[in-house]
Amino acid sequence: MKHDLTVMMLSWEYPPRVIGGISPHIYFLSKHLAKQDIKVYVVTCDFPGAPAHEVIDGVEVYRVDSYKNPAPDFATWVYLMNMNMQKETAALTRKISDKIDVFHAHDWLVANAGIGLKHVFRKPLLATMHSTEMGRRDGLHTTTENMIHETEAWLTYEAWKVICCSNYMISHVKYVFGLPSDKLVMVPNGVNTHNYDGNEDLKEYRSKFALPEEKIVLFVGRLVYEKGIHVLINAVPKILSKVNAKFIIVGSGYMKEQLLNIVRSMGLEHKVLFQGFLDEPSLLKLQRCSDVSVVPSLFEPFGIVALEAMAAQSPVVASDTGGLSEIIEHDVTGVKVYPNNPDSLAWGITKVLLDGYYAKQLRENAYKRVQEKYDWEKIAQQTKRIYEGVLGEYSKSFWA
Amino acid sequence: MRVIIFSWEYPPRVVGQLSGYVSALSGQLASNKVDVNVVTYDDSATGQTQEASGVKTFRVANPVRTHIGVLTWVLTLNQEVERAATNIYYEAHKHIDLIDVFDWHFIPAAVTLKNALDLPFVFSIESIEDQRSPNANASYNMAIKSIEWLGFYEASRISVKSEWMKEEIVRIYDVPKEKITVISSDSDSLGKEFQKMYGKMAEAKKNET
Repeated sequence: MKHDLTVMMLSWEYPPRVIGGISPHIYFLSKHLAKQDIKVYVVTCDFPGAPAHEVIDGVEVYRVDSYKNPAPDFATWVYLMNMNMQKETAALTRKISDKIDVFHAHDWLVANAGIGLKHVFRKPLLATMHSTEMGRRDGLHTTTENMIHETEAWLTYEAWKVICCSNYMISHVKYVFGLPSDKLVMVPNGVNTHNYDGNEDLKEYRSKFALPEEKIVLFVGRLVYEKGIHVLINAVPKILSKVNAKFIIVGSGYMKEQLLNIVRSMGLEHKVLFQGFLDEPSLLKLQRCSDVSVVPSLFEPFGIVALEAMAAQSPVVASDTGGLSEIIEHDVTGVKVYPNNPDSLAWGITKVLLDGYYAKQLRENAYKRVQEKYDWEKIAQQTKRIYEGVLGEYSKSFWA
Repeated sequence: MRVIIFSWEYPPRVVGQLSGYVSALSGQLASNKVDVNVVTYDDSATGQTQEASGVKTFRVANPVRTHIGVLTWVLTLNQEVERAATNIYYEAHKHIDLIDVFDWHFIPAAVTLKNALDLPFVFSIESIEDQRSPNANASYNMAIKSIEWLGFYEASRISVKSEWMKEEIVRIYDVPKEKITVISSDSDSLGKEFQKMYGKMAEAKKNET
């Protein structure tokens, strides 16, 4: 089959390896790029039980042994993993009959591999910055954080174009790495509304999580500082004083113990359920039967969970920050509250839970909005145009 | 014959013995009409120079200035080594016979270049981690050993300075004896000995294709 162009996508996560938002992003982007006559290769880290090579929805997926070398810490592991990823991708690029046109790296986690491959094969490199170390940590405080920040800067320097998924991230990345405006392109993240199709009765499924008289308040995300989960936990008693609810926390992270202790000290273990990691089909169902989905992030480059909740027709209460500010239109497609403010968050959640008509309006508007604006097919078309633009410029360079 | 030499130290940067040794060898090779391109690290004096002997040097700095350890420092420096080596490769219209890598630091770059561009490499040993840090099995030391192992595995040939080192490598890394060439460092014909080894490799590569 003849393709318009061939892309080598590098990502440290791809399903079934799901650590954060990059994994579903790569999955949907690659799949829809493939539908646009683009041959897509994804090179990613291995996962127990997942094959070293498979074709998923027309996308060639290769998984590299990423725990080959002993590593003293996470950051060193990342660089060692890049050494292996680069080696395997180099061999693959040489072996396959398709000629790779562009390398596309996602976040600093694959910076070294992407940069090395760019020079060795003399092909353009694109980088998507899903997040930054400065944003994640609210500043740079340690040697490791500075090192990661500089690695990100290096990646954006070496990239032909830097893609960010919100206007907020564009201005953040521009400021943090001092990039020229014409190097940055905004392409939103997408959501697949069909994931949430289905009209089966979820009453029984719901009863696994909450009593019929309890409203379900859902949080989905890593239990880390930037996600603001502690703000929600602090809002719990304020909400419970007005409405009977069950708080379901999906995800895990280094703050878990600390959060559990706060919940215990408040005597609310029966109201807050730490669900841990949930497989995708179960999560999709849970999102559909949630009365409100909460995104209390302090830093959020995009906020894919908010989109997912909108697609699942669960009303969203989110902090007015980062990409969330762009996704949510206050009082129309969701409720925006002050970031890092438990009172404001409690107000928003309570309002949605107590006003059924308001909640219904938000739900309907939000669903319409995601269908119009955050459709993967449109996003893939936009991305393809960026590839073509870069290749046009590249063809005039001395590397071509 | 055209070769690229990787060494993390080269004059004026002198950390240990390797710097002087690689410099002497490069000079001898150049005077034997080998086109020698040395890729090395220097924090500030980056860029290309040509020595009186004819040896060309390419110095790269680390693009990431802050590091938590030698490993992260080395692993980010390797991409710059790849960039410099690839520039030499394309400038030479892809006519590079081989790369000679001195010690473990730039093994990742050599391995990538081998897999991407089919450039064979020699792994030349000054010292190994097992001897530098005897009995150390912290993950930091093990990671360095794993990079050395990768080098021994992917290299077309290994060169050492003594029979003793040859035995050590066979003992510790289980490398087949036949893969190792011993070239005494006090030999006056250092350059000639290396050239002979390079010649055999180039010959073997030609027969392969």
